Amino acid sequence: MTNQGTQQKQTAETLSHMACAHCDLIQKLPAMQVGEVARCIRCNNVLYRKQKNSLNRALAFAITGLILFVISNLFPLLSLKAMGLTQEGTLLSTSISLFQAERPFLSLIILLTTIIFPLTTLLGTIYVLMQVKTNRINRYTAPLFRFLRSTDAWGMLEIFMLAILVAVVKLGDLADVIFGISLYAFCLLILSLSFLSYSLNPHDVWNRLRDIKGCQI
Amino acid sequence: MSHSTQLSTARMQGLVACQFCHTLSRIPEEIQNINREEDTSNKTNNVELHCPCCQSVIHSRIPDSLNKTWALLIAAIILYIPANTLPIMTVILWGNGQPDTILSGVIHLMDAGMWPLALLIFIASIFIPILKLLILIGLMISVQLKSRWKPRDRTILYRITEFIGRWSMVDVFVIGILVTLVQFGNTAMVTPGLGALSFASVVILTMFAAHTFDPRLIWDVIDEHTDKNRNNNED
Repeated sequence: MTNQGTQQKQTAETLSHMACAHCDLIQKLPAMQVGEVARCIRCNNVLYRKQKNSLNRALAFAITGLILFVISNLFPLLSLKAMGLTQEGTLLSTSISLFQAERPFLSLIILLTTIIFPLTTLLGTIYVLMQVKTNRINRYTAPLFRFLRSTDAWGMLEIFMLAILVAVVKLGDLADVIFGISLYAFCLLILSLSFLSYSLNPHDVWNRLRDIKGCQI
Repeated sequence: MSHSTQLSTARMQGLVACQFCHTLSRIPEEIQNINREEDTSNKTNNVELHCPCCQSVIHSRIPDSLNKTWALLIAAIILYIPANTLPIMTVILWGNGQPDTILSGVIHLMDAGMWPLALLIFIASIFIPILKLLILIGLMISVQLKSRWKPRDRTILYRITEFIGRWSMVDVFVIGILVTLVQFGNTAMVTPGLGALSFASVVILTMFAAHTFDPRLIWDVIDEHTDKNRNNNED
């Protein structure tokens, strides 16, 4: 009770009023229960989501995600068997084969959206959350978390998952498609990434950073 | 009329909200005055304000939002032409190459009886990009004409474009996977076409365009109007 009480008080102190990001209207945040969402009265934008244990859950999913990400990259996702030949495909080989097909920009786009941004999201989230939880923030914590928030939309592994499904159906008629070991890890990775983005409440991280730094408005 | 009962924006109160940590900070007086005299949002941009909590650069409205968004949108519209006319990939079977554009790819899937797949690719590669371009152009024009038509609905439209835009990348990834897997020399091979790069660029440019568009501009027109009415009533 006391713990919860102080936490609510801290939130009330640091963020009593918010300007809606989409219409700039200043609104007072109401006292909220876990699971409740505060929306802008004027444009319906989500202002604040009250979540239970957001940081711990997000950290758990991020660590799970990182392990699954490594496994997903170690073994082939899909193999294609035709005319006695087998062609294997991993996450990385998608960008490599586009590079070899003389499409360096396309290869770069795929490398960024399927490997670099998801990996930085996982590593960065773990780093920031660890720092916040142990109260050991440095001057790079806030800029790093800002970077993670602004590159959030560029990790596109769930879209890659959909693309795998499309490719499997397309190729299914012509040749034997074999699901690789990594595909199972990859499916679980997609799940942990979506749980991660659902459970991570950036407000909680910012509030903690504000508390630690003692920043006043 | 007491001030607290009225709807009030951060800008009206001389505040700026940080886009990341949502901390409200006060705009220094001198910058507010410059802004009022010249009545252009460009002036404030010369002085960079930093959020006291997370040190990010803060601005009341995204600087040059309309110009940047138009530039990105026009680039996207231009690239949309090669994205649809150039082949996105060439399927080589037994030495015969068959180039496919986005539309012919969908038609081939329909001919092969793969209706759900054809529908999915049609939505992701044709419907969503066109819808997104049209919505963004519509929003831009409505802001420039200072329209007061259904601001809430327009903001919701903006949120939809922001959310669905990235799913158009699915076709680009499919091409990547096919190029990787179908590599059996002259008997069966898939090579990526220039159309794929153009299409990926369209998706990325429209994502950036949605990002540089500031939905608060939709509401500024409404706020200015109510402000004017209020002043008239008081007189």
